[in-house]
Amino acid sequence: MEAKPSTANLVDKIVVPGDVVLDLSSMTNQTIKLGGGLRQECDSVSVIKAGKLRFSKPNKYWVESSQKRYVPCVEDTVLGIVVDCKADNFFVDIRGPTIAFLPVLAFEGGTRRNIPKFEIGSLLYVRVVKANPGMNPELSCTDASGKAAEFGLLKDGYMFETSTGLSRMLLSSPTCPVLEELGKQLSFEIAVGLNGRVNAESPSTVVLVSNAIMNSESLSAVQQKIMVDKLLQRIK
Amino acid sequence: MEFVSPEGLRLDGRRPTEMRQLRAEIGNVAKADGSAVFEMGNTKVIAAVYGPREVQNKSQQMSDQALVRCEYSMANFSTGDRMRKPKGDRRSTEISLVIRQTMEACILTHLMPRSQIDIFVQVLQADGGTRSACINAATLALQDAGIPMRDIVTSCSAGYLNSTPLLDLNYVEDSAGGPDVTVGLRLLSCGTYGYTLGPMD
Repeated sequence: MEAKPSTANLVDKIVVPGDVVLDLSSMTNQTIKLGGGLRQECDSVSVIKAGKLRFSKPNKYWVESSQKRYVPCVEDTVLGIVVDCKADNFFVDIRGPTIAFLPVLAFEGGTRRNIPKFEIGSLLYVRVVKANPGMNPELSCTDASGKAAEFGLLKDGYMFETSTGLSRMLLSSPTCPVLEELGKQLSFEIAVGLNGRVNAESPSTVVLVSNAIMNSESLSAVQQKIMVDKLLQRIK
Repeated sequence: MEFVSPEGLRLDGRRPTEMRQLRAEIGNVAKADGSAVFEMGNTKVIAAVYGPREVQNKSQQMSDQALVRCEYSMANFSTGDRMRKPKGDRRSTEISLVIRQTMEACILTHLMPRSQIDIFVQVLQADGGTRSACINAATLALQDAGIPMRDIVTSCSAGYLNSTPLLDLNYVEDSAGGPDVTVGLRLLSCGTYGYTLGPMD
């Protein structure tokens, strides 16, 4: 069979594994940055995960995909659940391939004398510090300069799990339409982890907020507004 | 028995090179990381993928790549007569091995060392071509789970009856006694086609 020339411009289109995105033999003396979901094979760049191909000037390409399982990345902020406490580390489940370790001293002003006590099942807002393939990721409850910066235990609220794509949409700027519409009428607080976990806190409407967020995954901006309006009608 | 009429129509009215109707859905199994239901005519198969996750049997853990496991089973109600032993018989073990080898060739296992990927495929309705439907469903389920893959694998069966090559055999044509082959194809990145498996029954 003859080889087909791969000249179709696939930016912003859905791609599947095996699609060739770029033909490097025709682009010389250029530096291209490849993000997640793409792989270089000799003279071509091909897709390894199904999703939408994105391009950002001047030279960044990546595939945006949405899954239930999270792949740990350094500097991601995630919501973890404590599963065990050992002498040196807390074992925290962040919905990745392996359990993550949170050192007992990784807190602001943490010393051997004031190690926090977390019960099994507590929800923590943490930052990923090390994420090498094949090794357990390491977490921290401080930001890069050592301050607490809102990391730590989340006491109240209702936690639900969604896909990684939805949590990225919730954290995007400008504010995503569903949060904007909800914010116009209700007051609530949410903590979004890039691993697909969201913790919602609200004095009386937490179920409505969580249902609105869970419904909004595959809707466009206009559809999200209509969906939120319909839900808000019910409590009037 | 006549499997291809003089006008060139098969028992179900198809032409010799015509496939059955295809239908696919993903995301059916809520608990699984990825899942898919694939139908080829009356053959219906469901695949669920779990992973990458921690290896359960530490002795099988590989430090440089992921462990891929596959289990094929047929539901008791999938065939005409109720099946007595849906798992563990030779045919199921052989098909599990074949599916595992096919998918392992496509998954980029070196990106996920020390982890395990489980593929469970179950036939809900069997009407010939279950092996192909399983491979197709497993490919979709792996993509739904976001597991990095080199390529998509598609599969179909073919046979030769009444001096005519036939595509996508159903159960009656499959059990007619002629030769048949199931082929898995990888759509390689530059557009050429390659063969990954072809057991002759």
